[in-house]
Amino acid sequence: MIDKLDIKGTRDTPEIVFDPENNVFEISGNSLPEDSEKFFTPIFSWLEAYIKSPNKETTIHCKLEYFNSSSAKLFYQLFIEFEKIKESGNEIRIKWHFDSGDTLIEEKGLEFKSVLDIPFEMIEK
Amino acid sequence: MNINSTFWFFDRIKEDNLCLLYNGDFSDEITNKLIELSEYNINNIDSLSKMKKKASFLMAECFQNIVRHGESLDGEIHATANEGFFLTKNWQDIYYITSGNLIETPKIDNLQRQLEKVNSLDKDELKVLYREVLENEEISDKGGAGLGLIEMARKSGQKLEYVFKDFSEKYALFYNQIILKSNREEKKPGEQSASFEIDEAIGYHQRMIEENILVIHKGDFSQDAIFPVLKIIEENLQREKKDAASKKKIFHILVELLQNISRHCVVVANKKEGIFMIGKSENYFVVNTGNLIENEKVDQLREHIDHINSLNGKELKELYLNKLRDRNMPNNGGAGIGLIDIARRLISPLNYSIQKVDENKSFLSLNVIA
Repeated sequence: MIDKLDIKGTRDTPEIVFDPENNVFEISGNSLPEDSEKFFTPIFSWLEAYIKSPNKETTIHCKLEYFNSSSAKLFYQLFIEFEKIKESGNEIRIKWHFDSGDTLIEEKGLEFKSVLDIPFEMIEK
Repeated sequence: MNINSTFWFFDRIKEDNLCLLYNGDFSDEITNKLIELSEYNINNIDSLSKMKKKASFLMAECFQNIVRHGESLDGEIHATANEGFFLTKNWQDIYYITSGNLIETPKIDNLQRQLEKVNSLDKDELKVLYREVLENEEISDKGGAGLGLIEMARKSGQKLEYVFKDFSEKYALFYNQIILKSNREEKKPGEQSASFEIDEAIGYHQRMIEENILVIHKGDFSQDAIFPVLKIIEENLQREKKDAASKKKIFHILVELLQNISRHCVVVANKKEGIFMIGKSENYFVVNTGNLIENEKVDQLREHIDHINSLNGKELKELYLNKLRDRNMPNNGGAGIGLIDIARRLISPLNYSIQKVDENKSFLSLNVIA
């Protein structure tokens, strides 16, 4: 099994925990790096390996507080990559957490939901 | 806040390595961030790093004077009246600190006497006076004892420059300027002497009051420089008692606009230069940004903004989602969707103007209201 991906959050980058062994997949915090692609590159590399032998069920919990538009684009691409898990007959779903009244994060979740072909659950806190 | 103000200010401060202007409330949180931002800026300029401590001390002293002696208007003049003014600016190897606050007219005489006294003394005499005041004088009811002024004169090694300007029947504005120079005796051949007068700073403040401008920042737009600015704005938003959703919206617009400057501006001497201003208009926040762009990019940019402005909310959303799904990323770290996403959240179209500066560069001003 592939090692877990554990990226600590900073002022402008999110915390990422992708832990296949314990079946925990979580993205949280803020994402507003100036060069988003640079930050996301190692995550895509990890994902490429994971897709080859994924867990039977993968649930990504997104608990983001804020992200900029270039991060939005890379999150979308990340979800599209995760979607490939379905090709080998495994399951993928996303749970999108947002604070009650946080219309920006709620709206961003609904936008992802509308363009992705993945079970996508909105969870209001 | 007028879109033309962006170039008005930029043109006046374009030679500066950095310039930060603030016209508003002076809480501890805000003054701490102003100092943090100024320190960050000082650290990034080699010739200034030695005076960092001194500059921080003097800034803190200015802020304390504003907080201690500045008068709140309590809605007397108009509800949005601001309590203080602060400017830091670096030009060549000279660092300016200017502050302004309201004082009651009857208190002018006393303050003026103190200032004249401090300015009449030399270094040693100031030291004697400092000790005397420290040991003898009663602390005034606002906690100060004229010590601040003495310290400013001692630390800066200069006469204190000051101006009293009429504000209303009851109040005057007291401005004070400190000039710090790095320690070198000889001027380089052909070098100009410092030309920034306190009157110029007062002119900036007047324009900020007239147009309800809260912050103006001209300098480096790298992420580290942007963060303290965002924090100052966040702090101000807290005081606005806006709901969490609109605060986040304004924060989002700022991040996108500031990162756009960082990605698209012409880099001059290794620095990402631009200017941004935040103001208020009734219940809305107004953000102006300005930066230099290459002339060859002007047409494409015009097309992009005009297209965005021609779309309604639903069409903007469609365009945004299409861009989100587009696999091509521009090669500057961005996603090419920032302006589209901002436009969806504004109360009016993206207001912009582009003026040619020289053969290669143009100045782009953006003005948004949210």
